[in-house]
Amino acid sequence: MAIDRRLLTNLDGPLLLAVSLLCGIGVATIWSATKATAHAELYLKQLTAVGLGLVGMAVVASLDYRRLADRAPFFYAASLLALSYVLFFGPRIAGTRRWLLLGGAQLQPSEFVKLAAALFVAKVFAESRKDQLGLADVVPSGIAVGLLSLLIAAQPDLGTAFCLVPLFLAVALLAGLRVRAVLTLALVGVLAGALGWNFALRDYQKSRIYTFLDPSTDPRGAGYQTIQSQIAVGSGGLTGKGFGNGSQVQLGYLPARQTDFIFSVLAEEMGFVGVAVVLSLYLFVLWRILETAQLARDRVGAYLAAGLAATLGFQVVYNVAMVAGLVPVKGLPLPFLSYGGSSVLASLLGIGLILNVRMRRFAN
Amino acid sequence: MRIYEDLRAVQERLVVAQRLVIGLLLVLLAAFWHLQVLNNRYFLELAESNRIRNVPLVAPRGLLLDRAGNLLVENRASFNIVLTPEHAEDLDATVTRLADALQLDEAAVRARIAARPARFRPAVIRADASFADVAALEARRLELPETGVEVVPLRAYPMRSAAAHALGRVGEVSERQLEQEAFAMVAPGTFIGQAGLEARYNAELMGRDGVRRVVVNSRGAEVAEAERTPPVDGPPLTLTLDASLQAALERAFAGRRGSAAALDPETGEILALGSLPSYDPNAFATGVDSATWRALIGDPMRPLMNRVIQGQYSPGSTFKPIEAIGGLAEGVITPQTTIYCPGYLSIYNTVFRCNRPEGHGSIDLRRALAVSCNVFFYQTGVRLEIERIARWSRRFGLGSATGIDLPAEASGLVPSPEWKQRVFRTPWYAGETVSVAIGQGQLNVTPMQMARATAALAVGKLVQPHLVKAIAGRPVEWPPAQDLGFVPEHLEAVREGMCDVVAPGGTGWRARVPGIEVCGKTGSAQVVARARLQRDGAENELIRPHGWFIAFAPRERPRIALAVLVENSGSGAEGAAPVAREILAHFFRVGEPAARPTVPAPAAAEAP
Repeated sequence: MAIDRRLLTNLDGPLLLAVSLLCGIGVATIWSATKATAHAELYLKQLTAVGLGLVGMAVVASLDYRRLADRAPFFYAASLLALSYVLFFGPRIAGTRRWLLLGGAQLQPSEFVKLAAALFVAKVFAESRKDQLGLADVVPSGIAVGLLSLLIAAQPDLGTAFCLVPLFLAVALLAGLRVRAVLTLALVGVLAGALGWNFALRDYQKSRIYTFLDPSTDPRGAGYQTIQSQIAVGSGGLTGKGFGNGSQVQLGYLPARQTDFIFSVLAEEMGFVGVAVVLSLYLFVLWRILETAQLARDRVGAYLAAGLAATLGFQVVYNVAMVAGLVPVKGLPLPFLSYGGSSVLASLLGIGLILNVRMRRFAN
Repeated sequence: MRIYEDLRAVQERLVVAQRLVIGLLLVLLAAFWHLQVLNNRYFLELAESNRIRNVPLVAPRGLLLDRAGNLLVENRASFNIVLTPEHAEDLDATVTRLADALQLDEAAVRARIAARPARFRPAVIRADASFADVAALEARRLELPETGVEVVPLRAYPMRSAAAHALGRVGEVSERQLEQEAFAMVAPGTFIGQAGLEARYNAELMGRDGVRRVVVNSRGAEVAEAERTPPVDGPPLTLTLDASLQAALERAFAGRRGSAAALDPETGEILALGSLPSYDPNAFATGVDSATWRALIGDPMRPLMNRVIQGQYSPGSTFKPIEAIGGLAEGVITPQTTIYCPGYLSIYNTVFRCNRPEGHGSIDLRRALAVSCNVFFYQTGVRLEIERIARWSRRFGLGSATGIDLPAEASGLVPSPEWKQRVFRTPWYAGETVSVAIGQGQLNVTPMQMARATAALAVGKLVQPHLVKAIAGRPVEWPPAQDLGFVPEHLEAVREGMCDVVAPGGTGWRARVPGIEVCGKTGSAQVVARARLQRDGAENELIRPHGWFIAFAPRERPRIALAVLVENSGSGAEGAAPVAREILAHFFRVGEPAARPTVPAPAAAEAP
């Protein structure tokens, strides 16, 4: 498995730098969020995950993405297996079955399923040679991806399950799915949503939506997170309260502060300036990924990059909007920043795939 | 050379995606600008109110001291067992354990939690807990981390029921009080003065509470202190009361019902003020329990009532010296006037009896006072007529509140034709004047009013009775005594008669104190008509007349004036005069160890 020297010269250094910066900011923010708690060593675990992720990224980048895409059915089958296994045999932690115990480590298969789904969707649509796609053309692959999504939703982990939707839609649109078909799909989605609301959603999930509509109805319950996050963000001001000095963070008012709400830690302590810097980094990363899609030498590469951009972009936008109180609270980590080994590892592996596509844009 | 795929369509669509990403991130940036820059102040305030909690520092109430500096009311440290429900991980389990440790009902613990004023404020589960309770809690400290012991100052009355009606009591501020202007700054749950001096001087005694601004974490636990405004203690009140005379006064009643007030006739300083039966204000210090409260409220003998200023009685014959001054001043009698007493006066088609059925014969003012001849004063009253009797009564301060520094004072009543017309819409009958002339009828006075009137007989001045001498060491300015402009000969004539009251052969001989020239007057206030008293008086004590005794001493340069009323004691001579004697004897240290010359103790006895 020799790496061509030409490949290395085409390595996307700026993207690598931006992602590393985001990971570094994440580790520092985790340190600040947990330094006054019993989990003050979490930043070290995160640092380890980042290190592992960078190694994994290098490995993924070195394998030709086309060969990986050729094995998409295998990854898809492995995903189905892992998700089913977790659902039936995984340890029950805080009422959910999301984890796989491997040796001493906990792995969250759903994070890696996103990568498998991206390869699978890219491969499927690349093989379609039509310029225009109708609803019928996307139904089989849609069902295949939907199955993964349902298995994740059953854990339950609605946030991650929903991440597969923008991934699939983005690639389908790119491959020529008509907008009218998407609208039809949306209509079906609304109907399914109405049915789901009445028959499938659990009470805690409904209460989250209610509370989002009016946080003050439940200031001590689910609305508490939104209110405290907004207070943290708003009180941060232009330049923040200083690293390690946010009262909302340090006195424990902010929930899930090292995981889903890490961005409000940043917003409180580093202010609007910190927010602008980090959002600019994300913008750069997304821009670079989409550029990679444009530069890709073939459809598989373009679709793979676009699918990853869609799922990454969705996570970033949704998480940041949630921190600002614009959308309901969902358990969705912020890629590269939030504490969580699987999330960091999978995100970096995804970047590995992007580097992979970009590196091989001239290769034969 | 491999043929590249035609990706132009894909690349065009990707441009849309890029614009979408830029647009979304700009929207987010705008949202953060809105929150962080435009609304920064609002959220900073919310963050501060999250972070900072105000913990009140209760200012200890001012102490009450007697005129010699002896402690009458103090504060002691008490322990409150408190629970902050927000700190509890499992409130149900905590309630169960706490109820068990304190041997309380779980429902009672929950009721206490529900009754607390605000979230995150600890609920007082047991106020003034015993050492045993505190020890029981400390032993289970690890199981109950959300509970605590707070030390709070608690009002304490070391003399227990003594002078309770003057000192008063404290209690939790009521909802009705909270609506009043005077309690605008008082927080719900605060203990304030609810009776007596505690209520009258509440604003001064409360001092000013301080506050600790503390930083708390999300579980409400204190992390650091941000700021501290120390409380300003309530200033001490120096009273005019003499604790030892007060004790003697209450001892003198020996379990009987009634009241007495003694004051300095020159200044109006109240030396002792007692109303019996009394109650223990300590029972109110932590909030009175409903059983005790019901017992006090339901007691027919009304222990909570301050009889000295709220009990209204006919003055009976103690009114005669006042009427005598009026008669002399108006010229209807002179010190030499003699009137024939056949044992009754028949006038206005009615027969008015004298207290001596066989009559006193020819009698002058001095003797009429000494033996309390009714006929002499019937005649004086008839000559004065009701308007002038009323006018002279008012000059002695009857018919209106004395203005003593205690709340809820009754004003008594001096009847007049104008009053009767206004209240009953009937004219005055001349026969009523005859009753008023011997202090019966509609005439009503409080013992406090009679004590002041007695002081006026002693020195010719109307004083402002008061209980507080100084606040925080600074003397309180009371209105000066008001000279009544009596003719000295008239006063002298009445004093001679009052002196004879206490001399052998006088009605008040039981009040005699060896070596001290005491001037006094007996009186009895009828409760029911004479006929009913004679029929039922033997078995029903409550219809017997109240006994009065007023006195001042010594005759020259009087130092004490007092009024004693013993309820249902039958007569002033037998019921009230002996009580007055005990008080006077104590005041002048007669028959007590302190009055004996002190012999220096042998040096050996003092050696350690």
